[in-house]
Amino acid sequence: MATAPARKILTVSQVNALVAEMLDEYFSDLWITGEVSNLNYHSSGHIYFRLKDEGAQIDAACFRSSAQRLKFRLEEGMQVVAHGRLEIYVPSGRYQIILDTIEPRGIGALQQAFEQLKRKLEKEGLFAPERKRPLPRLPRVIGIVTSPSGAAIRDMLKTLRLHRAHCRVLLYPVQVQGEGAAEQIVRALAGLNRRDDVEVIILGRGGGSIEDLWPFNEEIVARAIAASRIPVVTGIGHEVDYTIADFVADYRAATPTAAAQKVAQGWQELEQRFEQTEKELVMTIQDLLFHLEQRIDELSRHRAFEQVVRRVREFHHHAEILQAEMRDVFRRLISVRNETLNRLRERLSHQNPAVKIRQGMIQLNGLKTGLQQAITGTVTGLSTRLARLAGALEALSPLAILARGYALCFSADGTLIKKINQVEPGEEMLVLLSDGRLRCGVQEKIPGGKNGKQEQ
Amino acid sequence: MGNKNNEEKIDFEQALAELEKIVKQLENGSLPLEQSLALFERGVKLARQCREKLQAAELKINKLIEEREGELNEEPFSEEPD
Repeated sequence: MATAPARKILTVSQVNALVAEMLDEYFSDLWITGEVSNLNYHSSGHIYFRLKDEGAQIDAACFRSSAQRLKFRLEEGMQVVAHGRLEIYVPSGRYQIILDTIEPRGIGALQQAFEQLKRKLEKEGLFAPERKRPLPRLPRVIGIVTSPSGAAIRDMLKTLRLHRAHCRVLLYPVQVQGEGAAEQIVRALAGLNRRDDVEVIILGRGGGSIEDLWPFNEEIVARAIAASRIPVVTGIGHEVDYTIADFVADYRAATPTAAAQKVAQGWQELEQRFEQTEKELVMTIQDLLFHLEQRIDELSRHRAFEQVVRRVREFHHHAEILQAEMRDVFRRLISVRNETLNRLRERLSHQNPAVKIRQGMIQLNGLKTGLQQAITGTVTGLSTRLARLAGALEALSPLAILARGYALCFSADGTLIKKINQVEPGEEMLVLLSDGRLRCGVQEKIPGGKNGKQEQ
Repeated sequence: MGNKNNEEKIDFEQALAELEKIVKQLENGSLPLEQSLALFERGVKLARQCREKLQAAELKINKLIEEREGELNEEPFSEEPD
């Protein structure tokens, strides 16, 4: 005879414990989608809310450790996709979903976070143009916050050298992506702000995904830039990348290279101005020598002949010394420039892409020929002018003429004798030679041709 | 530190401004020869000073190392080859 099976009676606690076990087994890894409502960001750091659709609701919780990892803020009515596990709260018998991942639907979490923070800081006035400070024109000390091993630092240093920034660079090495990068950037900005010599800061990194660039979208970084006493220039990623840091910065450059260029701009302009002036100065000495020549022409017709020649010689000598000095300046300029060119060439030779090398070479040759033309043009111009001047002086010197064997004859009353009928036989004459004078008597007048030979 | 920086900067800019003035005067060409020569001499001297200043200032790069108490120490930064 069959007996009825004994009833198994469970306590409430046992039932809830059984359900807990089942939930653990079958509902520990599920994705869910729904609308956020009854949202409560608790002071403990946990987030409590409900997920609902048209026909149902479920209690949801996101505990502090997971909530901290959320890049964006949940909002009432937001559609989300979330991952988690079901759990029963044994004391009350209510079950809820414990979420470890939440993403806004239709737009990436990071994008959402970016938009939210941007709106918030904009409302606070952190992006206002009037908050932006002018950059120093000729910074002597530049702080750079970036990775010491990335392409960004190399590009920036190369650009600063190329644009001849005459300054000291203080690199504050930081991680530029991943966990802890934002905190390091904040510490770097604070550290540089504690110094009294840094005049401008470049915050830079090369290109990357939105995740890579994320530290530059963190609120703490934005606030550190805003709080910086020293103007901050950002050069983050590529032309198309905009980060929150860019909006807060005093100047946003499209890339690290562009940031370095902006900071070095004043130095470059100053150097160009100087070189232009130096060239003009050299041109003026040519004019000066030209004036000297004119002066010689003018004065050589003058009575105080030898004295004038002496004075002009002095000027001429003086101008020569100056020209030699200028040449010396140029020589050193060439050697320094050559060193720079050699250094650049060496750095170029390490770079692989052929295009870069070609461009670099073209630039180098352009620089070199430009430089050489400028200098040889100037120096040879000066040299020929000086040589001509020296020749002119030489030709004009009466001593030189006499040294070649010519003589000057003067009659007793001191007139220069150019024709034989200026004197008669028996008269005395003074013959001027290069090393002295002869007193002579005229014996006979023999008319002749232009060459002075006797006609047969 | 900052003061020295400024002095040097002002020095250079002043020298450059004077040099520019000299060149303008010389280009004007109305000066007597002796004066032109004297001006030119001053110009050469200034140009040399500026040049030396520019060349003395090569780019120096140091790395900052944060010690405890937030003290920053500098040490030379050696770039990796490109």
